[in-house]
Amino acid sequence: MFHTRRDFLKGALRASTLLSFAPAAPSFLVRSATASPRRDDRNTVLVVVQLSGGNDGLNTVVPYADDEYARNRPTLRLPAEELHKIDSLIGFHPRMEAFLQLYKDGFLSIVQGVGCPNQDQSHEGAMRLWHTADADHPNRQTGWLGRTVDGILSPNRTYAPAVFVGPIAQPFALNAKDVIVPSIRLPGDLVAAQIPGQPDDRPQSKRIAELPRANRDNPLLDFVRQCATDAYTNSLRIEAAAQTMANTAEYPPYGLAGHLRTVAQLIRADIGIRIFFVELGGGGIGGFDNHANQMGNHCALLHQLSESVAAFVHDLRRDKALDRVLLITFSEFGRTVSENGRRGTDHGAAAPVFLAGGKLRTGLVGSHPSLTDLDSGALKFKIDFRKVYATVLDRWLGFESRTVLDGQFEALDILSV
Amino acid sequence: MVVLMNRSAAEYQPGDPGWAWAAYEPSDLAPWDLARAGHLYRRAAFGAAWDELQKALSDGPQRTIDGLLRPQADVAAFNREHDEYETSAAGSVNELRAWWLRRMIQTPHPLLEKMTLFWHSHFATNAANVNDVRLMQRHVQLLRGQALGSFRTLLQEISRDPAMLLWLGADANRKALPNENYARPLMDAFSLGPGNYTQKDVSEAARACTGWFVLRGQLRYIDREHDSGVKHILGQKGSFTRDDVVRIVFEQPAAAQMLVRKLYRFLISETEEPQAELIAPLAESFAKDYDILKLIETMLRSNLFFSEAAYRRRIKCPVEFALGIVRGLEGMVSTTQLAQDLANLGQNLYHLPTVDGWTGGPNWINSATYAGRHNLALALLQGSGPYGGKLNPLLIARKYGASTPESAARFLLDLFLQGDPHGGMALDAGVYDAVLKTAQAPADKAGNDFEDRLRRFTHTIATLPEFNLT
Repeated sequence: MFHTRRDFLKGALRASTLLSFAPAAPSFLVRSATASPRRDDRNTVLVVVQLSGGNDGLNTVVPYADDEYARNRPTLRLPAEELHKIDSLIGFHPRMEAFLQLYKDGFLSIVQGVGCPNQDQSHEGAMRLWHTADADHPNRQTGWLGRTVDGILSPNRTYAPAVFVGPIAQPFALNAKDVIVPSIRLPGDLVAAQIPGQPDDRPQSKRIAELPRANRDNPLLDFVRQCATDAYTNSLRIEAAAQTMANTAEYPPYGLAGHLRTVAQLIRADIGIRIFFVELGGGGIGGFDNHANQMGNHCALLHQLSESVAAFVHDLRRDKALDRVLLITFSEFGRTVSENGRRGTDHGAAAPVFLAGGKLRTGLVGSHPSLTDLDSGALKFKIDFRKVYATVLDRWLGFESRTVLDGQFEALDILSV
Repeated sequence: MVVLMNRSAAEYQPGDPGWAWAAYEPSDLAPWDLARAGHLYRRAAFGAAWDELQKALSDGPQRTIDGLLRPQADVAAFNREHDEYETSAAGSVNELRAWWLRRMIQTPHPLLEKMTLFWHSHFATNAANVNDVRLMQRHVQLLRGQALGSFRTLLQEISRDPAMLLWLGADANRKALPNENYARPLMDAFSLGPGNYTQKDVSEAARACTGWFVLRGQLRYIDREHDSGVKHILGQKGSFTRDDVVRIVFEQPAAAQMLVRKLYRFLISETEEPQAELIAPLAESFAKDYDILKLIETMLRSNLFFSEAAYRRRIKCPVEFALGIVRGLEGMVSTTQLAQDLANLGQNLYHLPTVDGWTGGPNWINSATYAGRHNLALALLQGSGPYGGKLNPLLIARKYGASTPESAARFLLDLFLQGDPHGGMALDAGVYDAVLKTAQAPADKAGNDFEDRLRRFTHTIATLPEFNLT
């Protein structure tokens, strides 16, 4: 077996005559000048977890030592003794015990007070901003990850660089001009299937795709043949990864956990996907959007998040795949500091972003935003969300963030790579 | 290719505009054969049924192209009927998608639908932003109405199309706040292309477009919101209005050049950018009247179109991939299901990803979408499942007299790939033999019958790299 994708590609290059594109690349293989160059051949993987509806950051990472917290949250206040304390100031929500363990083990970071300038109060507007990462153009037609995949992996891009895993409509962050980003639910959705009970024709289709052609001057045909070969090879790799995982991986019975399990299987299959996107909260408004009777629903969602991410981390740790993986969470906004009289909270601003993975340098990043210096009742952000994106693009994936984000945002020094 | 090397340079000069655009005449070296008939039907239609290919062979290229450009059938009546189906469909975009696919499969004028699809990508909109099914319906009707008509008229109508203006966020053009959201794509993606206008032209054009609003789905002109001052647009000066902008745009040579290049990619080849001198004669002629049908007619009748330089030099879009199977097998499948499957392959009708449309070409295919195409073909050809076994290769083979395993296999290869390796522009001989051989495998233990084996054989054809090209 090959240990990394790079080894696999080297092997494939030796074995295959297909990859030999003509030295003068035809025009369709030459990408636009705006494409962000790929800086090296890392095989790092990014997993983005969207928390839909606006997560109450204050009841996620709780500033229990601050009297203002108790004062603003007469019914939603989480008792200090039930929190999983991070330090003398803050603690995790009582149902996030798994996150505390990850934090202690060095597999989880908290970036505090992340948000954006000109915070939009509507779900749609705020989510749009997180998806486009373009504060100046609300009509921007591509998402930040869509622009990322449009810019990379040239010239002979024969595999899908990004995938959305989940049952809802594909989040706009992945909207690309050129690249088709698949939406799937299970790894099998990326597998070329066979009819149950009938002979497996796939090896035969692969063999015929690989047969040399006498007429060798059609670069499109060579390209499609390579895609066909890869499609059948990848199908086998995905099925093999499913078998290795079948008996060993333990995931709780939550939707998010299932999606992360799919992600883990595709990471193990090592088929070139660098970006995964999953979601918790149901897609549209709802989920984390708790204007009334927040407590029970929020508890359940945070527990699902914490348990699902922990299962994912533990699964990947077993065969050291975790060192290749960085997971980040985001929500379109936090909630108001004070509750609203209906045991709920309203649309806010800054909130924490979680990072999980095997290459984290710092547990706690930034300080908790002030609970008294507010903007329309909401926490002010201290770290622009685009700095988090820049960190992920520049330091983790190894892609130029400047072209994706239309400007230079300083990456945070929080990864040990 | 051997055939190619035997030709004298005078006969095959794909870079020479004189040769390239001269009308194709069948000859010993470039015979009117099944391969060329199949090529024509893949490009100018959505693939062909066997009797269409046979009729094309006996009619010859000129009459066949006549029929594709200007069919005898009552196309207007067919489209009126389908317009009514669309209107009475309760009103979700998913239903519009399904009806459009059905129209593509059944239309007596497939070239019109093919070009409507071309314009759908050129004047890209997205129903998710427009959020009004009727407006999306009217938008595609507008495209169909001029799909083979006048590019100038088409752009004029698009400029007052509520769906387009809503999608681009150009539904409020105030005098005090000229909105560039339409003016920019008007010059960029829709007509001139990058480098052929300046930011100044865009902002001046935006002033000319002030006064136009979309209110409750209706286009409205509010005179007091129109900036009647003098504008400078593309070297001209005057107190221009929106219609003047369109007129001025069409006075630029770049307008014809850009569209000819785009149609070159759509109808001739996407392997390389054509040289300027190859494009020039078509662009000069097109600039005189912007008559789309005339331009397409020149391309379809040309030597270049029927040469190796065009043959299988484009990647099929998902619609072409799927409808090629459906049309060849003369069945009707659930287009509701098909529309969703095509969306998963990256071609979601009525939902273009950006204003640049489907950029297509190699972007259509990667290992994931290739597996997706494999699975879609499998679903279409299966005897059960979401498509309900509506396509049956065995019935079609028998209908045309191919009833033995060997003859049925050869028939299907001819139907879908015009596979005879002795016919000049053919499938590679080694590939042809390898595919044919898969049909000769002995019956398996599961006792799968002839029908199932032909379904699987057809699937093997559909998963060939060559089948993904057009």
